[in-house]
Amino acid sequence: MGNLLEHMGIEKDRLHFSWISSAEATKFVDVVTKVSEAVNALGPNHKLVKNAG
Amino acid sequence: MTEKKTKIVAFLCNWCSYGAADLAGVSRMQYPADVRVIRIPCSGRMSPKFILSAFREGADGVWVSG
Amino acid sequence: MNTYTEKIRELASNLLREGKVDLVIGFKEGTVPMATAPGIARTPEEAEGFVWDVNCSLNLTNYLTNKKEKIGIIAKGCDSRSIVNHIIENKISRDQLHIIGVPCTGMVDKNKIRGLFEDEITEFKEEGDAILVKTAAKELTIEKQDYLRGNCQTCMHRNPVIHDDLVAEPVVEQELEDPFKDVKAIEAMDADEKWNHFENLLSGCIRCYACRNACPLCYCPTCFVDESNPQWVGKGQDPTDIRTFHFLRAYHCAGRCTDCGACEDACPMDIKVRDFTRKLVKDSFEIYGWEAGLTLDQRPPLDTFKPEDPDEFIK
Repeated sequence: MGNLLEHMGIEKDRLHFSWISSAEATKFVDVVTKVSEAVNALGPNHKLVKNAG
Repeated sequence: MTEKKTKIVAFLCNWCSYGAADLAGVSRMQYPADVRVIRIPCSGRMSPKFILSAFREGADGVWVSG
Repeated sequence: MNTYTEKIRELASNLLREGKVDLVIGFKEGTVPMATAPGIARTPEEAEGFVWDVNCSLNLTNYLTNKKEKIGIIAKGCDSRSIVNHIIENKISRDQLHIIGVPCTGMVDKNKIRGLFEDEITEFKEEGDAILVKTAAKELTIEKQDYLRGNCQTCMHRNPVIHDDLVAEPVVEQELEDPFKDVKAIEAMDADEKWNHFENLLSGCIRCYACRNACPLCYCPTCFVDESNPQWVGKGQDPTDIRTFHFLRAYHCAGRCTDCGACEDACPMDIKVRDFTRKLVKDSFEIYGWEAGLTLDQRPPLDTFKPEDPDEFIK
């Protein structure tokens, strides 16, 4: 899915997958931070957004 | 956009990451506030449609976690 | 390919006469030049109407979904792979089928030929590897090889992978330097260029869903575009909706697409919809070493789990 989105022109770093056990709160915090940083680095997304109205 | 914050839609499995998020909350850990969590019963419930819908509705990022 | 036509008629009428099948699906003469129409024969006499030429580009596998009868079907290399797909996905059983395999040397790109003329084509005749095309204004002889469809140019499986009969000796497979040149060209662009590339590509889309209907893989009783609660995709001409439709349609073909080109053929607006599916064909080949529809005894990579499956994308 990520590959095709990228192929279409949506940056790969906008879509993340991860695997965290329910006991891994630290990993959770870690991944959230990374995901957030990656997406923030790209800035807001305008592609594929359906405008209201 | 009035708000500069990015929006990340997080699809979290009830039994894995959602539990982890809960635990992180209970342990009062700090994490970025730009994720909007959607609880799904299992990561198997995930569908490409969800990801596209999220982007269509204006998400800046999508995160799927099992 | 006139010997093909004769052989197809002979095989089809024999099958019907001997009662081995209830019906045969093949191609019949179309109503205008440079067109053939899918046709069904239930009697040996009807089978005499079958033809075979360079316009038989549609994928007949489309008509097999959930059929109960015993069916004879005419299949090119790519069609036979779609049939394998259908069998693997339990849409039809192998025992129900009698496959008349046609070793294929490619079908022509009709839009490309039409583009040569300003007026309507009145006559279309194949003579060996050359094709004679006539309109009211002029007459041209063209080489078939120069006017092949995009997917025929990069075809690696011209001979049917499963068949009960073959209408001719297998043809020589093409040897290609790089079958995925077109995909790599798009991959080399940066995100915005890619976005614009597809924006231009899809600008002509009228949402007729011909690509979906022609596709043998698209057999869902209710397609996601027709679902209304929740509605995943809007019905209008909004570019986002068009994009979503094409994206998901392609994505549903991941690891299944045999690159038969039926989608592009069916498109009335001449959109290169294969730009989406080709990427998936390339990925499933590069990631899983998988080419769809080559074998009956292996499950496709996306419905099995193997410990060695790549998981770099998971954090």
